[in-house]
Parts: sequence; C-alpha cells; structure tokens
Amino acid sequence: MTGRICILVAALVGASLLVGDAGVGLADPLILWQIRLPRTVLAAMAGGALALSGAALQGALRNRLADPGLLGIGGTAALAAVVAYYWGIGARFALATPLAGLLGGGLGAAILLGFAGRAPTGTALIVAGIGLSAIASALLALALTLAPNPFALAEITQWLMGSVENRTLADAALAAPLIVAGAAVLLSVGRGLDALALDEATAASLGLPVGRTLRRVAIGSAVAVGAVAACAGGIGFVGLIVPNLMRPLVGERPSALLAPSLAAGAALLLAADIAARIAPLWLPLNESPRLGILTALVGAPFLIVLSRRSQP
Amino acid sequence: MRTVLLRLVPLAAPIVLSAALAQFPAGAASRVVSLNLCTDELLVQLAPERIAALTYLARDPALSVVAVEAPRFPAVRPSAEAVLALNPDLVLAAPWGARAALAVVEARGVPVLRVDLPADFAGIRAQTRRLAAALGVGERGEALLAAMDARLAAAATRRPAAPPRALIWEPRGYTAGATSLGQAVLEAAGFANAAPGGQRRGLESLLADPPDLLVVPSRPAFPSLATDLLDHPALHGLPRVEIPPALTLCPGPWTAAAVSLLAR
Repeated sequence: MTGRICILVAALVGASLLVGDAGVGLADPLILWQIRLPRTVLAAMAGGALALSGAALQGALRNRLADPGLLGIGGTAALAAVVAYYWGIGARFALATPLAGLLGGGLGAAILLGFAGRAPTGTALIVAGIGLSAIASALLALALTLAPNPFALAEITQWLMGSVENRTLADAALAAPLIVAGAAVLLSVGRGLDALALDEATAASLGLPVGRTLRRVAIGSAVAVGAVAACAGGIGFVGLIVPNLMRPLVGERPSALLAPSLAAGAALLLAADIAARIAPLWLPLNESPRLGILTALVGAPFLIVLSRRSQP
Repeated sequence: MRTVLLRLVPLAAPIVLSAALAQFPAGAASRVVSLNLCTDELLVQLAPERIAALTYLARDPALSVVAVEAPRFPAVRPSAEAVLALNPDLVLAAPWGARAALAVVEARGVPVLRVDLPADFAGIRAQTRRLAAALGVGERGEALLAAMDARLAAAATRRPAAPPRALIWEPRGYTAGATSLGQAVLEAAGFANAAPGGQRRGLESLLADPPDLLVVPSRPAFPSLATDLLDHPALHGLPRVEIPPALTLCPGPWTAAAVSLLAR
C-alpha cells in the first residue's frame, strides 16, 4: 500500500514542479529550482508530518478524531513562531522561528497530554483541544494586531490558514531536519501504540512502557508539527482525514497506519497545493487560496460525518 | 486609486473644497486638526504653527515623511469627541474615511476641508496650492512646488530615448496601474510602466516576464512575510531600486524625491 502511495507522491511531485502562476508546463530553471522546488518539498514534508502525527495521536489517545490541528498543537506552535518572527528574534538567528514553533507545539502537547492523563474520555479531550486551539488562534491574531508592522494584520491569514507560497530553499533546509527528526520519533512508536490499543492497564501489565510511548508521541508531534507550523502556518485537518482514509485500506492496527499515513499526507498536501496554484489560473481569483482553506473544505465535512458515526 | 476614490465619493472633492474656502478667508484657520496622513504631511510642511493635532500615523517613519516633526504636535484619533475637544476651527480630511466623525464635526459648525489625493504631478501642484491658499500660506506652497519642479526638471534632463521597463512591486505582489501615482513617478524618471494594467504579479509571473528594473519599497525596520518576499533568492539577478514607501504613499511635493532616486 505504502509503495503504491509513494508512486502517487512521485507523480504529484512532478505535477507540482510543472504548475505555477507563470503557467502550466516546464518553467525557466530559475523558477523551477528556486520557487517551485522549495514549495514542493515543503508541501510534501508538511503533509507527511501532519498526517503521521495525526495517525500517532489517534493511536496514542485511542480516538480517531485526534489531529494536531484540532487538538491545538499546530495552533500553539504557530503562535510561538509568530511571536519569534514578528518581534525580530527570527531575524537575529534563522533557527529561532522553527525552534519557537517546536517549543510552542511542545507546550500544546504537554497541556493536552496532561489533560488526557486525567480525563481519558475522547469527547473531553477533543473539547479541550478545541479550546486550546481557539485560545492559540485568538492569541495569534492578538499578537499580530500588536505587532510593530503594518502588514502583520494581513498576514494573520497566512499563519492561521497556512501556505507554502514563496518559500526559499533555505526555508526548506531549515525545516527539513526538524520535520525528519520528529517523523523518525513518531515512526518508532508503532509497537507501543499497538500495545496501547488494548488498553493502558493491559499494556502496562504486559510490561510495555505506556508513559514512554505517550511522551514520544507528544515529543515527535511537537517537533514535526512545530517545524511545519513555523514555516507553513497552521494547516488543519490533514492529520484527521488521512489516517481515517487509510484505516479501511490497511486495517485498524495503529503501527500499520503510520507509514501509509505519512505517504498519503504528503500526497494530499501536494494535491492541495497544486489546486491552490491552479485555481487562480482558471478562476477569477485575486489571490491563491491558502492551503488551510482547501484542507478545511475537505476535512470539516469529513469531521462531521466521522463524529456522527462515532456517536454511541 | 483614482477610480476607487470617485466611486466612494460621488461628490467630487473640489466642490466641497470651494465651499469650505468661501467660509474661510485666507489666514483665518488657526487651530487646524488633520485626520489623514496625507493632509498631516502637507499641513506640517505648509503651516506647522497652525496645527492643533495630527494623526498617529504621521509619527510612523515607515509611512510618514514628517515622522521627525510629528511628535512635537498632539495626535488625535478620528473620533468626533476627540476632535471637538480640541476646539478646532478647521478640520482637514481625505475624501473618504472617518465619515461618521466628520458628519458630527460638521453638524457642530466646524468646517471640514476634504483634500483630494491626486495621482500625478499636475494634481499635486493643484492640491498643494488649494491647501496653501486655505491656510493663507500661498508663498510657502509655491516654495515647496518650486523645489519639487527643480527635482523633476533635473530628472527630465537624464531621460533616455527608449524608456526601459520598470515594475513597481509592492509587498504581496501589488503593482502600480496606468492611473496611479506610481506610473506618474516612473514616467517622470524616464521609465515605462511594465504593469500598466495594475494586475497583481506573483514571484513566478514576475520572473517569467522580468522588467528591466524592479522598483521595491526600501526595507522596513520590522520583519514581515510580505517584505521577506523581496529578498527571495530568485530575485537576486534583477536590478532594483529601493524607494522609501513614505515618498509615494501620499501624493505631495516630496514625491519628486522618489523620481530623483529612480533617475539616478
């Protein structure tokens, strides 16, 4: 399954290099390598990281509504990145913005897992996550309103809805190691997640480290999602949709879901970014739609259907 | 810009202006409140001794050409209460904006002068003269315009026969259309506008049809995604001139300094 999705990803990477506001087709090498390549790399990495984090969180929390965006991890990461960027810390050393995103994501995950430890029911956790994410987006908008910069207000959409437009190879090079590191941690927790799927008491009685698995999911998600949010803003719903789409294809076992979700997430966000670039070429749009708009338009109805189905 | 103004304000500005002028013989306005950055800048340069208050924007060095002088004067937000508390005898405003506040101010009998914001140098001359006359400082207006015309004349002597194509590229990809102040600046400096349609240009479409010269705002003191775009490595091969945005944000005699920077 993962192999077949990887072929799709490869095809979408090719398509992504052939589309842009300079038109559809093979572009000037400068446009190809300096403009289309960075956004293609970032879209693939961001989609993969978000979906993988969603799959791991759904396994760890035993709740198929879990998603780094919905749970507020993406929001707290974007908030921290915004503060570092607009108050000039990012200008002093380039790693500051992604590192801040990582810290913000870590804080969000810590708050959430702290809450999950005490209130294990799925609904309560999702509600807490929605609360956390609402606080994070409100504080993000407030921070940009107060930012010493006349354009900051217009840039709220970029941070809340997400975009990989106009990113440079340097941006991609900065985010890549963090995203890869976070993804590696998340890919390593499969066995722990399978044990957790039984339930925490059974897993613990089998001698499996429940706490360590939860912590690794939290750290991996914070690093991967934090780096994504710092360079591409808050892209929602990818982590929710992809594992749920993969489950009928690869089965319920959490460990079997991780790699296919990574690949399918990359494919989904590449497709969304291609659509975002094609839309202004064919429709009377003044601006390319933000990635988060497209993923929300697909993901939110999916969430509604899913929440109906999971009612007792 | 101009078409937008006319659509928003069906009453053309000069009519309002002449009515206010009739009420105000030269030299009578002594407590003047300005509620628009563009009138702030003209007021500071024409009659600083008459100022009751300016906008807060006038103090922002990224936007205002009088940021150094502005903190010496009180600042006011465009609320009717705040304006009336200053007991002004003339309020300067743009043809749009602060409509509710201005309606209250006018109802209390305070004359409001709505100054049109022109998009070419002929319009700047007329606008400066109208405001200078309203403030009773006609000779200061002429002095400002003489300095402006000297700059424009110096730029005109260096004008090449075949004008190179220049593109004004603002943050977020905005360009200057055929009826904009930007095009007037480009033409005065001897360039042809590479985007007469005023359409937005993304990074890719810019590089697919690169202009001879890229005209971008000078780097602001704050970080923003919009201005980061101007540093994209794919743009490094294009010749560029940086213009302080305050010079062209509001039309005025200072706009000629942008022409000098381009013609150099």
